[in-house]
Amino acid sequence: MTADVFIFWFLAILTIVSALSVVLMTNPIYSALSLAMTMVSVAAIFVTLQAYFLAGVQLIVYAGAVMVLFVMVLMLFDLKNELQAFSRGKFTGAIKVGAVGILAGLIVGAVGSFIMAGKSGAPVTPEASTSADATKALSEHLFFNHVFGFEALGVLLLVIAVGTVALSRSKGGTHAKH
Amino acid sequence: MTSMGSTSFEITINLIKLVLVFLMMVQAVPILVWLERRGSAFIQNRFGPNRVGPLGLLQLLADAVKFLTKEDFAPEKGNRFMFYAAPVFALIPAAIAYMAVPMSVPLKLDGHTFLIQGFEINVGIVFILGISSLAAYTILMAGWGSGSKFSLMGAMRASAQIISYELALGLSIVGVILLYGTFNLTEMVNMQQGPLTFSMFGYTVTSSYLPNWGIFYQPVGMILFFAATFAESNRLPFDLAEGEAELVAGFHTEYGGFKMLMFFIGEYGHMMIASGLMTTFFFGGYGIPGISFQEMHQIGLNLLGTETLASIFNTVVHFLSYNLKFAIFLWIFIHVRWTLPRFRYDQLMDLGWKTMLPWALANTMLTAVVIFAASYFTI
Amino acid sequence: MPSTSFLTDISINHYLILSAILFSIGMAGVLLRRNIIVLFMSIELMLNAVNISFVTFSHYFDKVDGQVMVFFVMTIAAAEAAVGLALAVSIFKRFKEVNIRFFEHLKG
Repeated sequence: MTADVFIFWFLAILTIVSALSVVLMTNPIYSALSLAMTMVSVAAIFVTLQAYFLAGVQLIVYAGAVMVLFVMVLMLFDLKNELQAFSRGKFTGAIKVGAVGILAGLIVGAVGSFIMAGKSGAPVTPEASTSADATKALSEHLFFNHVFGFEALGVLLLVIAVGTVALSRSKGGTHAKH
Repeated sequence: MTSMGSTSFEITINLIKLVLVFLMMVQAVPILVWLERRGSAFIQNRFGPNRVGPLGLLQLLADAVKFLTKEDFAPEKGNRFMFYAAPVFALIPAAIAYMAVPMSVPLKLDGHTFLIQGFEINVGIVFILGISSLAAYTILMAGWGSGSKFSLMGAMRASAQIISYELALGLSIVGVILLYGTFNLTEMVNMQQGPLTFSMFGYTVTSSYLPNWGIFYQPVGMILFFAATFAESNRLPFDLAEGEAELVAGFHTEYGGFKMLMFFIGEYGHMMIASGLMTTFFFGGYGIPGISFQEMHQIGLNLLGTETLASIFNTVVHFLSYNLKFAIFLWIFIHVRWTLPRFRYDQLMDLGWKTMLPWALANTMLTAVVIFAASYFTI
Repeated sequence: MPSTSFLTDISINHYLILSAILFSIGMAGVLLRRNIIVLFMSIELMLNAVNISFVTFSHYFDKVDGQVMVFFVMTIAAAEAAVGLALAVSIFKRFKEVNIRFFEHLKG
């Protein structure tokens, strides 16, 4: 059991537990804080995959900005434990069973196939590149090969900014009385 | 995990180093609090704490005992878990982020090389920004967990402020990153060695007396960065979060005793990160103007004889140089707090979004164009 | 004889299964929860799961394009969160609750 293996299992369990608590907590503020925890551990998983720059961006964008917005909005609403946190009914019950079934099947199938196979595939170990080179390669790909996607995202962000301001400036929001 | 060292000796030393850097950060806080209280008294023409120990230096020890023996209470309407967790989380981001700031030249002992920083990380800037952006959660947790209107209002203001100024903060250092072409803080310090040298359009101009510091290349970036870090650490003139006249004490209204002290340590930790980054980006890091690392090593060799002692000498001298610059910025933080008035909230938001953000964007654009032109065209 | 090598040899499969599990959890959240904001959070969870697989493939096949895709996903997630929260705030202003059933007032 080397340090890398221990770190992977620790992070995997942390991620799954915090992701489960996002869905299962009835208090939305706890959900949001668990999601922040998930984001941080996903950033750590990126580090184990040697995507250092992305890990930093994940922390800044997701954990530092998006989730803080979520938590702020939830705290402004000050919702107590909800009366109807989960959906009810026959159809949604079926979905519930189905989703849990998929999840359980996935876990059982994965673990089972591992045990049956006896080995976890051919261990591919790519050459460890220094992260400075990796960041440079990333930027070159982003600005040469994917520059149209990048520009399109810029337009999208502009549209989103305008739309959000318009939504929050109008008096009654989506339900403005005419 | 190669970054922690390959032999058990290296791993041991690196682990000890982590603890030492953390202790250094925490132990700087009492000194800073003393400095802040004496300094504010000096500015306001009064005495400040001067009874306990020489110059009142032991006042903080007495205060710590007082903090520890205070009654530990939690508000009835609040959320106990969040209330107790928030002060603990206040300390963690500041402590982890400070680990990545390089503080001196690497120490060479028996063929092993030890960096004088908690750990080296190649994307140092991104890491520090990412970790310190987690501080917003602490404030929100404290504000919501206290179950008080004042706390919640303070927390909302503080976190909105942190998110808003993070943009200006991030953009203000893009110019620096473009200039040095690296995210690595140690490499940045190495690039700021020697005399000031502009090489543009095929010409090279060297100044004989100015050091090659980032401030001469990025003056606007430096001002924006420094102002944004004031907002990030919730200090005056941006301490809207705890405007005493309006919100009692903002998000830590309900906190007392040691929990309060932990918020203080977090705040001072952010000040320290800001000062360390200012030093590293714009003021040559641990370098000493006029003397290169090798020259200093040679001086040590002449004075002390052996390579090991010379390396230790080199490290210690540069560590002192770093700490001198670091202390100057910390003093500026304290001085500003006690001399400038507080912004109004709308003024604060206007400054962040309408003034600092456009200036930072313009600075980024200008830097990019100049760097490209200077390296591409020759006259 | 079941072997325990799957515990000690971390390979691409481990990361992909982790990603799949996270995705299923996020999907379950979208299907089961009624609070709009929790729905958005579950979507973020699914996007994160996808990000993990992108980074995994990029690492194991030594291609950077996966990481570029993660950038795009992150941007879109941030944009989605901004609009979603603006909608949630405007729903909350009117109904003092953010249940998904109020979204049916949006039609027409």
